[in-house]
Amino acid sequence: MNAFKRGLRAIFLRLEAVFEAVFGPRLNPITQLGTLGWFFFWIVVASGIYVYVFFDTGVTQAWESLERLSRDQWWLGGIMRSLHRYASDGLVIVVMLHAAREFAMDRMRGNRWFPWVTGIPLLWFLYACGITGYWLVWDQLAQFVAMATTEWLDSIGIFAEPIARNFLDSQRLSGRFFTLMAYIHIAVPLLMLLAMWVHIQRHAHARVNPHRALGIGTLVALVALSLVRPALSQAPADLDRVPFELGFDWFYLGVYPLLERVSGGTLWLLLVGGSVLLTLLPWLPPLRKAPAARVDLDNCNGCSRCFADCPFGAITMVRRTDGLAFEQEALVDPGMCMSCGICVGACPTATPFRRASDLSAGIELPDRSVAGLRDEVVAAAAKLTGEAKVIVFGCSHDANSAALADSSTAVVTMPCAGMLPPSFLDFVLSRRHADGVLISGCAEHDCYERLGDQWIEQRIGNQRDPNLRDRVPRSRVAVSWNNPSRRGTLREALAQFRVHLRDAAVAAAPSPQSSRAAWRAKLRGLAPPFRYSGQAAAYAAIAAVIGIFATWPAYTYLPRDHALLKLSFSHAGQPLKPCRRYTHEELTNTPFGERRATSCERGRWPVYVELDLDGKPLYRGTHEPAGLWNDGPSSVYARFEVPAGRHRLDARLRDGAAQTGFGYTGSQTVDLEPGENFVVDFRAAEGGFTFAPPAPAAPRRGAP
Amino acid sequence: MTLLEWRDDFRIGIEEVDHEHRALIELINALHGALGADRPGDRVEAFLGEIYASISSHFALEEKVMRARRYDDLAVHKADHERLLDDLRDLMDEQAGGAILDEERFAQRLAQWFAGHFQTHDARLHRFLGS
Repeated sequence: MNAFKRGLRAIFLRLEAVFEAVFGPRLNPITQLGTLGWFFFWIVVASGIYVYVFFDTGVTQAWESLERLSRDQWWLGGIMRSLHRYASDGLVIVVMLHAAREFAMDRMRGNRWFPWVTGIPLLWFLYACGITGYWLVWDQLAQFVAMATTEWLDSIGIFAEPIARNFLDSQRLSGRFFTLMAYIHIAVPLLMLLAMWVHIQRHAHARVNPHRALGIGTLVALVALSLVRPALSQAPADLDRVPFELGFDWFYLGVYPLLERVSGGTLWLLLVGGSVLLTLLPWLPPLRKAPAARVDLDNCNGCSRCFADCPFGAITMVRRTDGLAFEQEALVDPGMCMSCGICVGACPTATPFRRASDLSAGIELPDRSVAGLRDEVVAAAAKLTGEAKVIVFGCSHDANSAALADSSTAVVTMPCAGMLPPSFLDFVLSRRHADGVLISGCAEHDCYERLGDQWIEQRIGNQRDPNLRDRVPRSRVAVSWNNPSRRGTLREALAQFRVHLRDAAVAAAPSPQSSRAAWRAKLRGLAPPFRYSGQAAAYAAIAAVIGIFATWPAYTYLPRDHALLKLSFSHAGQPLKPCRRYTHEELTNTPFGERRATSCERGRWPVYVELDLDGKPLYRGTHEPAGLWNDGPSSVYARFEVPAGRHRLDARLRDGAAQTGFGYTGSQTVDLEPGENFVVDFRAAEGGFTFAPPAPAAPRRGAP
Repeated sequence: MTLLEWRDDFRIGIEEVDHEHRALIELINALHGALGADRPGDRVEAFLGEIYASISSHFALEEKVMRARRYDDLAVHKADHERLLDDLRDLMDEQAGGAILDEERFAQRLAQWFAGHFQTHDARLHRFLGS
């Protein structure tokens, strides 16, 4: 597991670095997969509402209404329809990448289990939306989806009669089932939205919108794809014919071909078992976690800055408990605290200028006290030599800042760079403990503790309290955000910063802008032409992936020279005991309201059925009666791919106490055409087996 | 002797803010007392650090209250807070740099700032909250 996770992490870190070179940190799609998911969701909702306006929920009208939309209104309706499909496919891609990445980066362990666990039902909702959506189009793919899904649902065995029988042939198709699909396709996304809202509940300042430019680029790519390759229906569904090959959306329907290899029950077991395993993943094995932050009421006046900055919503402001005149105090929920220390960085009392003996902040990490941090800074600074001494404040997820330590560089590591109170920078520089301070953290806009880099940038930029005081020269403060794979970049940033500090030592006054932004290394980035063409290529690539796998490779459902033979019926076996008429005496002894003519015991015999093809056994099966009291009908549903041509069918059925012989038999010689859907039915009232060739194309009624 | 006396008209009407104002006045008076006594320099430095932290966190609370009540003059009021903190930081640097602190002048400056701040900015806040 760990080797797998490390390997996956290495891939994501590489990918992130490549995309950052092209998109820059703000637009990097790899670090905002979740927001892209929201974005795709909204596109799907908006385009879905538009398409629904023109959609007719009828068995024949559905296909025609969509065909009309794509043909007559290609410039808007057609685009909307394509966006609806392609954004849904994009949603699958980003959701899968998002989950894989959170797993690889270990951002779902321990107290961060909540978004992970609530994300798993989201996957089921997502697939329910996609599958019902393909159903509604009522083309050949929909026909396949309907048959395969109902057969698969029947394998659970909770339906009294196989629901796949609704799609047995065109005569049996009921519009009601179809209308139900439309309702599900609207209800599930609403549930999904609710679940998405729950999914982000434990994240303070959760990002639900991608950077605007990234959103625009993505939308343009999808619209372009919609114009180049509009999403269209396949041939209209015809339940009397079986499609041979289907353009297949592998993003949503990828598991269906498995049903031809494994039983429906096995697939359920795989998917449900897989979901349970995924749900348990945050605790496999349990995370060894540092103790949670603790509030020191002697130093807390309830200013609520820690509450405002905690990325995990672990702090609440509650009514004061110690009798002092303050209204509130901070309260940490140890079950939600990640021990990142960002709350400490927000606390106005966490300043190293205080008397060492009294130095305790209003909120502290038991394993990393502010007093300890101050002592470490002072001790490390004392050992520095050289003309441009630098103290690096690193975090435990950066590009290994600890390795930067040398005679003129001291490294002080915290759980997250966001733990650093800005007054430490003031302290180090004003007391001349070093000539410069470098803050090193993990990737920009992708802080392991979510918000550490943003808060640091805003505090230095004087946009967030506690701010770095204006008196602190920004030219002596540097930030460098790098993911763990970019050690060289961090080293280069430090080298450049040191050169800059030497130059600054000779320079007179700091430049006027220097109070606004911290110093940044001028690292080699891609030149604009490469950058923009790289972005265009990335958008084109994602559009191509969606466009291609939304219909290709085709899935062969039935070989071209075959027909589909279905044996399906519902028949109640004989009662275990025949009913008996009550005697007159019995009836007079029964209270009037409970009198009935006959006494019937519940329970029926199973139905045993045999089907031979050209004299060879094709099917043998014993079917137990349905119902809790075994008194319902027995249902049979089986399908066989049969070479087209002339065949002899022999069917036999027994439904009573006898162990040999058959109460019903039937035979017929049939000519099966390629692609024909041939149903062997059984109706006791009509004398037994019926062999039904497809009915001549009769005008079908629409759904109610 | 006390440098600064709490007066009822300093009240702004919010219990926790008034409570901290009283505590700060006590702290400043204690500092004044310490300055008057025979003392080593780094003790003063640490004392200044404590005052700086206390005032910082008091301003954090007061700014929270002002934000919560949508005080219309927050920016100006906060700028005055920053001005005092800057003054204080200047003094801390001077003291750390070995300058002999003119304690009387320092204490007067602090007291003046507080009295001035109470009578202008805090009084305006009091009127705003009362209206």
